Amino acid sequence: MAVKPFGLVFFPAFDWALTPTHPEREERLLYTRDQIVEEGLLDIPGIREYKPRLATLRDADRVHIGVPDIASHITDAHLVSAGGAITAAEAVIKGEVARAFALVRPPGHHAMRVVHGTRGFCTINIEAVMAEHLRRHHGVRRVAIVDTDVHHGDGTQDIFYHDPDTLFISFHQDGRTLYPGSGFTDEAGSPRAYGTTLNLPLPPGTTDEGLHYVLDNLIIPVLEDFRPDIVINSAGQDNHYSDPLANMAITAQGYASLAAKLKADIAVLEGGYSIEDALPYVNTGIILAMAGLDYSRVVEPDIAAAPHGLTDGARAYLRELVARQSALWRDREQLGTVAAAKAGDFWTRRRGIYYDDSGISEQQVEKLRICPRCHGYLTVASEAEGHHCGYQSAFAAVVPREPCPACRQGAKDAVLAAKRQGKYQHYIIQDKENDLLERV
Amino acid sequence: MLLGIDVGGTYTDAVVVAGGKVLSQAKAPTTHDDLLHGILGALDQVLAGVDPAAIGRVALSTTIVTNAVVEGRLEKVGLLLLPGPGMDISSLVPERPWLLSGYIDHRGRETSPPKEAEVAAACRDLADREVFAVAGKFAIRNPLHEQAVADWLRRHTGPAHITLGSAVAGSLNFWRRANSAYYNAAVWRHFGRFARAAQAAVAGRGVTAPVHILKADGGTMPLAAAGSRPVEAVFTGPAASVLGIMALAAPQGEAVSLDIGGTTTDIALWRDGAPLFAERGAKIGDYPTAVRSFWLRSIGVGGDSCVRREGGRLTVGPERRGPAMALGGPVPTVSDAMIVAGAADFGDKGKAIEAMRITAAGGESVQDAARAVLAVAADAIYTAIGKMIDERAAEPVYRVEDAVRDRRPQPAVLVGVGGASAGLAPLVAERLGVRCSVPAGAMVANAVGAAAARPTIEVTLRADTAQGYYTVAELGLRATLPSRRFSLADARDLASSHLAERAAAAGIPVVDVESVYDEEFNLVRGFSTTGKIIACRLQIKPGVFTTQEGA
Ligand SMILES: [Zn+2]
Ligand SMILES: [Zn+2]
Ligand SMILES: [Zn+2]
Repeated sequence: MAVKPFGLVFFPAFDWALTPTHPEREERLLYTRDQIVEEGLLDIPGIREYKPRLATLRDADRVHIGVPDIASHITDAHLVSAGGAITAAEAVIKGEVARAFALVRPPGHHAMRVVHGTRGFCTINIEAVMAEHLRRHHGVRRVAIVDTDVHHGDGTQDIFYHDPDTLFISFHQDGRTLYPGSGFTDEAGSPRAYGTTLNLPLPPGTTDEGLHYVLDNLIIPVLEDFRPDIVINSAGQDNHYSDPLANMAITAQGYASLAAKLKADIAVLEGGYSIEDALPYVNTGIILAMAGLDYSRVVEPDIAAAPHGLTDGARAYLRELVARQSALWRDREQLGTVAAAKAGDFWTRRRGIYYDDSGISEQQVEKLRICPRCHGYLTVASEAEGHHCGYQSAFAAVVPREPCPACRQGAKDAVLAAKRQGKYQHYIIQDKENDLLERV
Repeated sequence: MLLGIDVGGTYTDAVVVAGGKVLSQAKAPTTHDDLLHGILGALDQVLAGVDPAAIGRVALSTTIVTNAVVEGRLEKVGLLLLPGPGMDISSLVPERPWLLSGYIDHRGRETSPPKEAEVAAACRDLADREVFAVAGKFAIRNPLHEQAVADWLRRHTGPAHITLGSAVAGSLNFWRRANSAYYNAAVWRHFGRFARAAQAAVAGRGVTAPVHILKADGGTMPLAAAGSRPVEAVFTGPAASVLGIMALAAPQGEAVSLDIGGTTTDIALWRDGAPLFAERGAKIGDYPTAVRSFWLRSIGVGGDSCVRREGGRLTVGPERRGPAMALGGPVPTVSDAMIVAGAADFGDKGKAIEAMRITAAGGESVQDAARAVLAVAADAIYTAIGKMIDERAAEPVYRVEDAVRDRRPQPAVLVGVGGASAGLAPLVAERLGVRCSVPAGAMVANAVGAAAARPTIEVTLRADTAQGYYTVAELGLRATLPSRRFSLADARDLASSHLAERAAAAGIPVVDVESVYDEEFNLVRGFSTTGKIIACRLQIKPGVFTTQEGA
């Protein structure tokens, strides 16, 4: 074949569930398996299936600060899922395939930098683990992540909030109406990475037309402008009209044509819980579209049930949203400078983070040094309390990639100072320059 | 006593075996324009001095189906597909299909009905066809649409034969089932003619035993039952060889087997004493099918492979330019090297030495040249085995338990059969660092395999307790479940009774039934369990008669 094949890492984790009746249960990708095997998708010459490899704890530690450590929160399933994403990415990077789709579970986009437990069905952030693996081992620098799950990808946003080399774009059902309740337009990145986080909250009921309006007029132009080395799609499928956890109106055709336009190098499955009425068709559509094959016949049997037509109000809202976020993107440097000036030497953020699956509430204070010479070091003070885990706390510092000497020293000093005060249980340095996670 | 016949590319071999021993063997040239002629030639020779009434079974491994496919002697098929939504396979099947409406979803539910008027229109368009293949997506979970289309075909035209996709295989993969159904219909008439003639000719020799045909999965089936599923008799040569190895050497645990013939070496990997199957099915021409077959790799190295130097580098095969120089051939071959190295003893040794003199690099002795040739040939086989092991280790898995466990094949023994195995198999085994076995009778392994192969049959049962029904695809059956409280154990019991039923209909004894795969999922709707989806496949294990069983 003249054209390069498309890579698929399919890992339905048929023996893994969060709990027996949880949406993340063994059955979730059963009907997707049925459909893609029945279609013969795994046999056609343009598609090459890969076995997922296992991610290492080091791959996870490069992204996460687990309290007390990441190993105590994850199962083998998480390492296979993250490893599946890495397998897909390596197939692309090595040039074996043109693009790849890691159709894997468990998902990851709600997992943040600090991990006390599981939230939004996610424990480790599989796209972030993949992206940082590519940066560390395969010479990738500029990464764009487009999150097309119905829920705001708050974990991915958190991990890359201070990283100007990672563009994170998420569209999702408006956080006032859906978990996790974030992803508003004013969440745009910390001052030195301003604008490389772009949120697009969409009104409930948004159809293919509305979604593609935002895609064509904002997401694609911004991606072109950013010039990423690699484009990653966090390919959640819960915007589908039949999804039980959300209220959107996207069809399999809407998702497939999105995949065709986005031309992501790597897609990674996130959510999607309409396991019978949506996932078989959406996944088939995405696979065909990414493989450059005809997807026009992929139509849900109950397509008549799909709502259609946008209200005038929704249309006006989307126009305004695209205009506002286009302006933010255009003016991002200037807006970032203003924000940096306002912050002074340190940018600070205090947040409460809830782990719905683990029943844990975390209070977190982040302090980022606004540094003229590097991305700045970050400290995170985290205290968590839950029914099962009791009280857990940690103080961590993150040394950025290519740090200036002052930030390298500053991160270390901050942790040592905190340790002398002794308020926290664990003291950790995540050193992105040397790829180390150290306990102090 | 069991009689086996293997139709090969050059010779047709026949053997009579009993208790794992070859009692009589014979050879006749294969007659390509009329296979039966050569078969009967070999049969008459092997029966000389044998009481035909004492033969318990005759089994044929023939190229009748393979040749029909390879030579394009295929009947025009009316191919009707019910693809529903999804990938468009119109251009991926061997015949331009008629696409019909009607869809069955992944749970076997009808989401839109098929239309008789479309079938009537198809019949007008396909008026020149007498054989038909009908395949619907997810028909294995509900065959009613395929069956309705078949009924309408019978009403609107006078088909000589209809193959249903759901009946050729019980596994998921509409595309493969469609291809299988097509080839089955396309060779149906040709095979039927051969089967009737073979049956009559064998009976004419006073053999009253049933006549079986070997399938690609290494099992046999009675000729009568094979008439409706001839596509399963494709590619039986390699299957016969593998079965022969099982009969002659019975490799235990993990093993690798080689059938080193004139121009090719067929490689198989073994686990738990059984050869590995191709995960999804055999490929016929460019088309993947659902025909179950062993997982074999064929490479262009054999006794007749020509040997030459290209830019100082020694190369072996893949072409054959004639027999060994020792047998009057024009160019040096692997066999000549074997003769010089003392691993074989036939033909004119002087000519073999002459062949190695041509092959030798400057100053190299003929013995060293022969050793170098064998090393190159063995290396090609060794490399191919390594690739197969890598591929098997990289086979995708869908469970965490399987993903974290390393299931890389680690063969502990190498078994070689075929004409050139004595010279090459030990060298390959040495490279692999495993024990080598070249069993007696290795030269007629294929015919022995056919003779000793047991009949096999399988059923796939899938139960959906939330909907209260189950299907057995191979039987075209969709029936109500006896109880909503239905377990995997119940499913196995029910499947084994259907297996017995299917075996009885085909005239096959039920022995050594094994579960090939099973799965069980809880159906959860709105946070409560509403039922289970259970699937299991049982088969009579492919294998060989070790004693007089079945004979
Ligand atoms: Zn790598
Ligand atoms: Zn989601
Ligand atoms: Zn700095």
